[in-house]
Amino acid sequence: MVAVMDRPEMPPTSLAVPGDVLLEVANVSLAFGGVKAISNISFDIRQGEIRAIIGPNGAGKTSMLNVINGFYHPQEGTITFEGKVRRRMRPHEAARSGVARTFQNVALFRGMTTLDNIMSGRTLMMRRNFFWQALRFGPALNEEIAHRKRVEEIIDFLEIQHIRKTPVGKLPYGLQKRVELGRALAMEPRLLLLDEPMAGMNLEEKEDMSRFILDVNQQFGTTIALIEHDMGVVMDISDRVVVLDYGKKIGDGPPDEVRANQDVIDAYLGVSHG
Amino acid sequence: METLYLVFIDPFVQMVQAPDFFLQVLWEGFVSGVLYALIALGFVLIFKASGVLNFAQGIMVVFAALSLVGLTALGVPALLSLVVCVAIMFVLAVGIERMVLRPLVNQPDIILFMATIGLTYFLIGLGELIFGGEPKTMVTEELLLPTGSSDFDVAGGFLILQHIDIAAAVIAIVMVAALGFFFSKTRIGRALRAVADDHQAALSVGISLNQIWVIVWFAAGIVALVTGIMWGARSDVSFALQIVAFKALPVIILGGLTSIPGAIVGGLVIGIGEKIGEIYWGPLVGGGIEGWLAYIIALAFLLVRPQGLFGERIIERI
Amino acid sequence: MFYREAGQYKTSYAADMAVFPIRQDRIGIGVILAVAFVGVPLLAGDFFLNSIMIPFLIFTLATIGLNILTGYCGQLSLGTGAFMGVGAYACYKLTSIFPDTNILVWILASGLFSAAVGVVFGLPSLRIKGFYLAVATLAAQFFLEWAFIRIPWLYNSNASGAIEVATRTGFGVTLAGPAAGALPRYFAVLAIVVVMTWIASNLLRGRIGRSFMMIRDMDIAAELIGVRPLPTKLLAFAVSSFYCGVAGAMMVFFWLGAAEPSAFSINLSFQILFMVILGGLGSLIGCYLGAAFIWILPILIPMVPEALGLPLEAATTEHINFVVVGALIVAVLIVEPHGLARMWQILKQKLRVWPFPY
Repeated sequence: MVAVMDRPEMPPTSLAVPGDVLLEVANVSLAFGGVKAISNISFDIRQGEIRAIIGPNGAGKTSMLNVINGFYHPQEGTITFEGKVRRRMRPHEAARSGVARTFQNVALFRGMTTLDNIMSGRTLMMRRNFFWQALRFGPALNEEIAHRKRVEEIIDFLEIQHIRKTPVGKLPYGLQKRVELGRALAMEPRLLLLDEPMAGMNLEEKEDMSRFILDVNQQFGTTIALIEHDMGVVMDISDRVVVLDYGKKIGDGPPDEVRANQDVIDAYLGVSHG
Repeated sequence: METLYLVFIDPFVQMVQAPDFFLQVLWEGFVSGVLYALIALGFVLIFKASGVLNFAQGIMVVFAALSLVGLTALGVPALLSLVVCVAIMFVLAVGIERMVLRPLVNQPDIILFMATIGLTYFLIGLGELIFGGEPKTMVTEELLLPTGSSDFDVAGGFLILQHIDIAAAVIAIVMVAALGFFFSKTRIGRALRAVADDHQAALSVGISLNQIWVIVWFAAGIVALVTGIMWGARSDVSFALQIVAFKALPVIILGGLTSIPGAIVGGLVIGIGEKIGEIYWGPLVGGGIEGWLAYIIALAFLLVRPQGLFGERIIERI
Repeated sequence: MFYREAGQYKTSYAADMAVFPIRQDRIGIGVILAVAFVGVPLLAGDFFLNSIMIPFLIFTLATIGLNILTGYCGQLSLGTGAFMGVGAYACYKLTSIFPDTNILVWILASGLFSAAVGVVFGLPSLRIKGFYLAVATLAAQFFLEWAFIRIPWLYNSNASGAIEVATRTGFGVTLAGPAAGALPRYFAVLAIVVVMTWIASNLLRGRIGRSFMMIRDMDIAAELIGVRPLPTKLLAFAVSSFYCGVAGAMMVFFWLGAAEPSAFSINLSFQILFMVILGGLGSLIGCYLGAAFIWILPILIPMVPEALGLPLEAATTEHINFVVVGALIVAVLIVEPHGLARMWQILKQKLRVWPFPY
């Protein structure tokens, strides 16, 4: 993403070379009480790629995303993001270090307008303190306007100008998903996690959403990890795929390779489990 | 040092030196604890069934007691007016279901909570219009409740037990047991638990929400009536009684909003805790700490267990 | 027909983000301010200022305070009355120690004390939410009420146990105490309330207001975006209590002249809460509408039977007040849970398309 504003606290995205490992998950295990959600999973996400995480329901995909952005804390294993190793991280720290995400069940701020929802993604980049905010004058107002400008660019990009001032609670599901993507984009993330961005959409909406994802990846160079059930979409847009089943990794590689993997076929078609 | 002694040692010395008095304090705390538990039970029943924190529970206690006293003052025999009061509580339950709950179905919890505060004001105004604001005496004897007291020799001193307190404890325990049985073993009880779990799912299997709400508010009304009689017999019947509802609030957050055993244990912890605190530690800070001690006890518990003693642990998902 | 924005184009984001983007609204607010600053002082008598305008403005400020916490940040508080009390007692102590300083300075400074107390009682919001938190704020209410009674230092050990305002000046004008006229007090209250409303509207439209609403609407998602819940909630408690504290100080110094601890009881908390609900959660205009409604209604109710020639006792009118207010709360919640502010919005929307609704 071209930095329109000064963001001295964040290194520009272009520093990382495409193909480098951006995030590495090493031997991560997560359990709730006695239930193992994830056991001993390792994979990596490389700079600039679209990485799909697939698997049947309950395979631990969403838990995996929750681990990556610090909402769950794994009992074992480490997460390395941009060379920094971390085991326990609070969600807001993940946000600060450049991880944004969308959610399986839309998690928008329902009482706020589309504009405010996307503006909320800029929160971390707004610097003016309480007293400037209280006066809303000079620097604070300029800051607000500068961010508004960036947000309007995102709104244009996602083609949601007409719902700018509508409270998101009143929007249809497909548009809510789009606003949520906009909010994540507003954070100018280096890693974008998308949890089932196309769930419950019709064909046209899916095509739109796929286009947005590819555009984000290609125009802004944002690295994307997504969970998706629609195999057609996954095979079409992703560079590499990791397959989970019952909390274990059963496949990893380019789409064609994964498609041919016998374990993956078994897991999806329900052929003999032992 | 002096302060530390007064706070950490002196109260315990007093307890050991006058064990009979300590027992007396414990007993008083126990009795008010039982009554708190009874009010808390009213809250919990309604919260379980409709997800509403019914702020009006306290005023329902006053309203029930006032109706009873008011009716007897008109010359109606006490036991007959008791029956009439039960009928009044039923009418109230139906009225609330029709006028408040049904139109507000599917609104956020906070809206319903505020509606019950509105209801509280409405009932206070109505009660004072009908019965006047001055305190009245409960018709204890006419209701065949025991009066007087007995002394027991214990631990080198004596313990005074008011008969009405004993009756209150017994009746409260019986009520709690009966309600517990009703809601765990009967068909309506199962329906109630289904409603508590998921309104829409309950509707889809053919449970009538409206009916359940009426039943639950009626049950809470009966509980309020009993509490009103007992509490009224120990002091006077007046609007000051509604402050016992403020005592029940820490009880329910301590016990967990949805737990009947929680209400009972919470009631006893608060009842005994605040009596002991007031008697032994209260004088150190000028007394009158009963008003907030219960809240501080509950807050301390909450900071350790945010879901209350018996509430279910919430696993957050996204 | 008259209220229509057609033909008003916005050429900058600043214009689009203005508080009143529509010209008719800007004219309207100008007229209201002119009436408040010029019309009311010229026309109104002492009774109107003392019994209607001054309390109405003070309650509006407290309502804004509670609305910031409950309507914008989603943290239900039942301790408003006590936080107002903290402001009143803090101001009383400050002006007793430094009697010659401009009273307005202490009125505003007392808000800081209230804010600090608010933060302390907001700490449990780290772990507890919703009703549990509401009950926790009741702890503040009862504890502080107790403190106002039991700590004689707070009321300079007066025999009456009440705080009584001595004569105090600001900018050379007598603003508080028995000698203060209604007009200077009205101007002081009006100026503070208008400025603080403007500040609240600035805060709430910017980053801080958005982070409050993020916490209100979905705290988990807010955290994943980088808003830390505890500091945000505590900031909401602090700002809210500051407003309530200033309102409490003004209530004693510019309106009542003296107050007992019972003035800050839970009934005051509920009164402010009603103003917030009736006005509309999450709306600043609603604060004015709600405060006006709840404050003026009880003044009007006794006039109805009087007009009908039915003299009622004071006690009876008060009971009728309770009934009416209680019923109105429930009725408003049923008709429009978002309060008078939403009704006002709907009315404006209707006006926009009138007389051709299609």
